[in-house]
Amino acid sequence: MTQQLTAAPPRIGRARAAIVRPWLLLAPALLVLAVLLLWPLVRVFLFSLQDYGLREITTGEPNWIGADNYAGILSTPELWTVVLPNTIGFAVLAVAGTVAFGTGVAVLLASLGTFWRTVTSSAIMAAWAMPAVTGTYVWVWIFDADRGVFNDVLMGLGLLDDPTNWFTNRWTFYAIVLLNVIHHGFPFVAVTVLAGLLGVPKEMLEAAEMDGAGAFRRFFSIIVPQLRQVFAVVIILSTIWDFKVFAQVYLMPGGAGSNRSVLNLGVWSYVESFGQNRYGFGSAIAVLLTALLLVITAVYVRTVLAEEER
Amino acid sequence: MTRAMRRPIAAAIGALLVAATTAACGGGSGNDADEGDDTLDVWIMQGTNPDADDFFAEVSTAFEEETGATLEVEFVEWGDAHDRFVTSIAGGTTPDVAETGTTWTPEFADAGALAPLDEHVDGAGVTDDLVEGLVEAGTYDGQLYGMPWYAGVRSLVYNTEMFEQAGVEPPTTWAELEDAAAALKKEFPDKIAVAVPGDAEFTVYPWVWGAGGEVATLEGETWTSHLDSPESQEGIEFWTGLATEGGYSSAGATTWRETDVLDSFAAGDVGMAVMGSWTPGAIVDANADMEGKFAAVPIPGKDGGISPSVLGGSHLSMFETAEDKDLAFAFIEMMTTGEFAQQWGQESGYFPGQVSLLDETLESTDPLVAPFAEQFVDGGASVPAAPTYGAVQAKATTSTMMQSILSGDADVATASEAAAEEMTNILNGSE
Repeated sequence: MTQQLTAAPPRIGRARAAIVRPWLLLAPALLVLAVLLLWPLVRVFLFSLQDYGLREITTGEPNWIGADNYAGILSTPELWTVVLPNTIGFAVLAVAGTVAFGTGVAVLLASLGTFWRTVTSSAIMAAWAMPAVTGTYVWVWIFDADRGVFNDVLMGLGLLDDPTNWFTNRWTFYAIVLLNVIHHGFPFVAVTVLAGLLGVPKEMLEAAEMDGAGAFRRFFSIIVPQLRQVFAVVIILSTIWDFKVFAQVYLMPGGAGSNRSVLNLGVWSYVESFGQNRYGFGSAIAVLLTALLLVITAVYVRTVLAEEER
Repeated sequence: MTRAMRRPIAAAIGALLVAATTAACGGGSGNDADEGDDTLDVWIMQGTNPDADDFFAEVSTAFEEETGATLEVEFVEWGDAHDRFVTSIAGGTTPDVAETGTTWTPEFADAGALAPLDEHVDGAGVTDDLVEGLVEAGTYDGQLYGMPWYAGVRSLVYNTEMFEQAGVEPPTTWAELEDAAAALKKEFPDKIAVAVPGDAEFTVYPWVWGAGGEVATLEGETWTSHLDSPESQEGIEFWTGLATEGGYSSAGATTWRETDVLDSFAAGDVGMAVMGSWTPGAIVDANADMEGKFAAVPIPGKDGGISPSVLGGSHLSMFETAEDKDLAFAFIEMMTTGEFAQQWGQESGYFPGQVSLLDETLESTDPLVAPFAEQFVDGGASVPAAPTYGAVQAKATTSTMMQSILSGDADVATASEAAAEEMTNILNGSE
């Protein structure tokens, strides 16, 4: 009896400590995160319920308008006919293009010897390291109507009679943005997938080869399933990045709002909110975009987890 | 002079932190850098005057002699300036006096950040000696919030070599301009006779005004845009027609900004273009071969005379946070009138905002000064002085109209009606 009584409390204490200790250790980090991330998020949400402009900033007085900003956003016809189709269509193509091309490069890198692998990966690192702004100006220069290399070549080959302005057409405009974004985004995918490729056990590939599986069969039946999580990560990150594309569109000729048919979510929200000092409206757009990206991410993660269990 | 050249980004972050932790700051004084009452904090835009450091060294000395107060000048990049003003307004850390771009003055006045200047200006006795276009741009709700300091103006700049070779004279009417463009195109089929840029609103308004139209007018409390009036449409039709019907511009120009016009003109590829009085230096900097090979004329009126063009420049504005308003105005007066205003104009290549100072400039025979000066005095105008005009610019209403006409997506009537409707809505704050 006595022994049991004396023995029991420490055990409970230890159990409680086991629960409390991790939280205690995490507390400083969580506190910092709450201040740096959570509080701004809450503020953005509070702004999104107000008509918040320069005047409100000066006076410091709130100006609540309920869900009017959200109603205003969702009832803008431009959002449904231009902005969302551009954003989603572009994101789908850009993610598919980046992941496909990046994986191709990763496979290439994996099959190279040490020397050529170093040379090639240094080259693609240069594309990655290039700031988005610089890269965009290079692509704009290539496709410039009067002085661009692209028009010069087409006209030299006799495929084009007069210079064409590729930036005024919605499809050619986004084709150039697509090139730019894939060029800038594929190195990350290539390097990440390469790391995964190098982790695939050699024995499995050799065994498959012995059984007569060709290169394609080996890639899709052995390597891809092994890399499922790697692909999940690069797809989710690429989706988030390609959804939020801003500089690559804004800096293109006509991309800053004067060509309404090429507006995407990033540029549209900038023009409508910060450009016009409508900070409440902009906050509401930010809240909706965050929610949308959370949903997409959740769906991805669930699909990946479900396949894992199976 | 003590120059407070803090890094703009660090300062912006600082301002944000102040805004975020309002509790720590406590509203009120506003001048966190103040050590006593005898310091004046001033923000000046960077890059206008290449010798700004020396200039303000002289101004500080003179200011201290006159008032006994110390001048603290901080240079701000144009690109960051609007954001910095907004964050400093939010944090109550605005300077006492700042250079404000002419389209920003009504916006900040509307937000309640600026102090009205009428009494001070009357006291100084310079009310009738200020350039009208700049006064108009700095007036909000019947009161003056921006003291005219300096400005530039756009005129028609042309390549003299190309004009001589094609045997044409600089145009004085719209018909002459079209004929000149046709002659240039015939002589130089691979060059651009006249650049009609799609993303440069200030090159559009002269033709609207020149045809007798208006961009927008205020009646009572309501703004109405008249870009779709028959007169405005005639002007827009003429200007865009040079590209769409005459083929005197280029496909690329459909998406050009003014900087693209400058690049092409400097490369010797453009016969004529609407360009600013501040560009001759930049043209020669970009291509030394162009020296002496270009000149300017005021933008021709439809049947002679001058088509008005926007005076683009800066005001000096006093912020409500300035503790000693008389001291602040003493500085404004010193900068915008008399000797220092003249010197600033000479060093920066802009025109001063005081009419009596312009007389000397007007007598100049320099082919790259006199025509601009004539345009400045006789053909200066202002964009609508509405606090919401910045929103119209952000929305790119006029550029959208131009681009859709130039790319053939819409005709002048449709595009100008859409633009007028949008501009009216935004100006009245109902968008």
